[in-house]
Amino acid sequence: MEKIIVGRLLRSNTRACVVGCPPAQQFPAFGSLVSIPLSETEVVYGLIGDIHIDDDGLVRQLATAPSVDEAVIQDNRLNRNVPVEMTVLFVGSKTENRISHLLPARPPLSLDCMYLCSTQELCEFTAGSRFGYLRHILDAQDVPAADLLAAHLAQAGAAQRAQGNSAWFGQAAARIITQLRDDYPRLMPILETLADVENA
Amino acid sequence: MTEKSSIRKLIGSVTGGGLKENLQVRLSVPPQQVQEGSFIVIDSQEWFFYGIATDLQLQAVDPRYALEPSRQRLPENLAGLLDQQTLYTNLVVLPALMLEQEPADPEAQMAWHKAIEAGDKEKPNPLPVKSIPVHHADAFLASAGDVAEIFGKPEEEGNFVIGFTREQDHPVCVNLDKLIQRSSGIFGATGSGKSFLTRMLLAGLIDRNRASVLVYDMHNEYGLDDTASDTGQNVRGLRSGFGAARVQVVGVGAGAAIRGSVPDFNLVLGYRDLLPEDIELLTLELNLKETTPTVLDALKQSFGSDHWFKAFKEMRRGAVIENEDGKKVPAPDSVAYWANQCGVNQMAAEGLHDKLRRLFNRPYILENPPADSIQAVMDALKKGKHIVLSFGDFESDLDYLLISNLLTRRIREEWEKITNEFRSGKGQEPRPLVIVVEEAHKLLNRDMASQTTFSTIAREMRKYYVTLLVIDQRPSQIYDEVMSQLGTRVCGWLGDEDDIHAALSGLAGRDALRGMLSRLQPKEEVLLLGWGVPMPILVRSRRYDEQFWKDVKSNRKVGLDQEQVIKKLYPD
Ligand SMILES: Nc1ncnc2c1ncn2[C@@H]1O[C@H](COP(=O)(O)OP(=O)(O)O)[C@@H](O)[C@H]1O
Ligand SMILES: [Mg+2]
Repeated sequence: MEKIIVGRLLRSNTRACVVGCPPAQQFPAFGSLVSIPLSETEVVYGLIGDIHIDDDGLVRQLATAPSVDEAVIQDNRLNRNVPVEMTVLFVGSKTENRISHLLPARPPLSLDCMYLCSTQELCEFTAGSRFGYLRHILDAQDVPAADLLAAHLAQAGAAQRAQGNSAWFGQAAARIITQLRDDYPRLMPILETLADVENA
Repeated sequence: MTEKSSIRKLIGSVTGGGLKENLQVRLSVPPQQVQEGSFIVIDSQEWFFYGIATDLQLQAVDPRYALEPSRQRLPENLAGLLDQQTLYTNLVVLPALMLEQEPADPEAQMAWHKAIEAGDKEKPNPLPVKSIPVHHADAFLASAGDVAEIFGKPEEEGNFVIGFTREQDHPVCVNLDKLIQRSSGIFGATGSGKSFLTRMLLAGLIDRNRASVLVYDMHNEYGLDDTASDTGQNVRGLRSGFGAARVQVVGVGAGAAIRGSVPDFNLVLGYRDLLPEDIELLTLELNLKETTPTVLDALKQSFGSDHWFKAFKEMRRGAVIENEDGKKVPAPDSVAYWANQCGVNQMAAEGLHDKLRRLFNRPYILENPPADSIQAVMDALKKGKHIVLSFGDFESDLDYLLISNLLTRRIREEWEKITNEFRSGKGQEPRPLVIVVEEAHKLLNRDMASQTTFSTIAREMRKYYVTLLVIDQRPSQIYDEVMSQLGTRVCGWLGDEDDIHAALSGLAGRDALRGMLSRLQPKEEVLLLGWGVPMPILVRSRRYDEQFWKDVKSNRKVGLDQEQVIKKLYPD
């Protein structure tokens, strides 16, 4: 199956990158697992940690206008040339079919293509009781870590459950508790956020 | 060890501690699965460590996890996951013994066994702890095999099942030989089960024929059947259990009846049996003055040890006659006359005479008893019979002190004599003897202990083949020096701080054991302590009932060789 490109890389560093895509296109949800191929045999994985829609002069003008025609709004949304920016938090990589939860050896380059991972790939990346990649989320700065965790666990949990692994969510939660149990003020709000996933 | 008996239950792992402050084990099971007093085994590389649980403490990674119930903030499953990782129980283990393990590797194991067989290596024995297990060593509740390894196998000669471990019901043995090699004690508040436990231990001793037993049965509990004061059920006595051929009930006083039955024979004292030193032991009871020894000494000088009692008894108190001058003077058969003659203070002599009147009238003291019943008791004991001396109606302290002291003095003299004969190559080896003393503090308190034969026996241990089994509800009243000599201590519930302190005196890990003693279940549980047991352990005491007697009888070993028993008792 031909994969759909969801965007191209704008800038990156060791921990994260920013990917842009045209606003007209359906972009992936917060917390989704995405992949950026570096070569034939090497793929970087990341989570959408932030979605950013910038303004421009025209939007500012329109926002102050007393009334704006619906057609103008749609035109501005779809045809503007400022991309939707997505911050992608690196969580691991795959080399020769071996998945690693370490940060990629080198970041992707500008205009590299980013793809949305399939459920299959999501399960593969989160399989086993290896939850090492969770630390990248917990350590992330400038993104809402608790909600990102919650969003990721909700998606991955559902994918795993669909594959018959209903214990996955609990195992992941246990792992988060292990990592943060010495930090009560941080752990409790995260667990409360996860509780919302559970209830949903 | 069968497969099943060696299965241990994993309960956690060692996280800290030391020899001085006990070991800390983090539990992986709910706290209720382990109880105070549990026998714990720790598997640490080449060694097993054995100890008992002395405390359980709730702990949290951060106190805030404990203070705020997680279920108030989180759904059930997340709260469960959180509690699992942040809340735990810390088990405090008092380590007691360590035992070398056989190697796990089959080849090394074979070499190990060969070395032991060839005598190049000593067969490992449990040693007192000299080291500690490694971090994270697994901790287990002991299996039946572990209990047997340390306390002895129930089926082995000389071992007697006294009770069972608290959670898992593994039988715990006491070694009867060790029990009587030194004097022992059974303590506990009134109603805690001392008499029931004593009946069982005595049944064990008699059944296995370890020694002759002489019981000073102040309250007539041990010989004939009794009725339990709380349940009203019949409680079998030792004579009905073993028959009169092995256990004889001796009643104090001629024609005495014990609980309406006729005893096998009676104990009657002759005037000659009473020595001045027997009277001195009654100083407290009779409230004698400090002049008493002087008066007694003068009596002995005047009439000899054999006749002083009769002579003194027959003197008349305050009798006077008129002399030639018409003056009233003491009559020649009066106490005063004798006192003046011997230069003894008259008031002192008359005072003693007044006080001894209580003795002069005791019906069990006769001038010429029909038989030497003290000798009869000793002969029966020497022949391997067991005697329960029932005090019948003579339950007063005066009777108990007088008779038990006098008889014990005579026994010790006799056993010392036959021991010395044996050591110089004449005569047979003496029959080991255990003297059982109820209400021991009456005889072994601070004021009396220095004078009584009992404390001598406790102190010289087994030199003359006689040891004590003391039973008491107030161990704090027993002279410390005697307490410190007690090898095995079996301790039921004690409420009083001083008594707990006394029962534990001289033992390692006292602080940890103290709380345990005060929380024992009365009538059900006892703590085994002291030299005679490999390590302290809490047991649910065996039930004393008809089943017990059935078990004793079906277990009976026949043809036990007396010589072998003595060899085991006194190997050196
Ligand atoms: N091992 C036991 N088996 C059965 N009953 C027991 C046992 N120990 C104690 N009891 C019960 O407790 C009561 C008190 O025990 P007892 O030995 O007379 O106490 P103590 O001699 O310490 O005052 C007994 O009457 C009996 O009902
Ligand atoms: Mg009693």
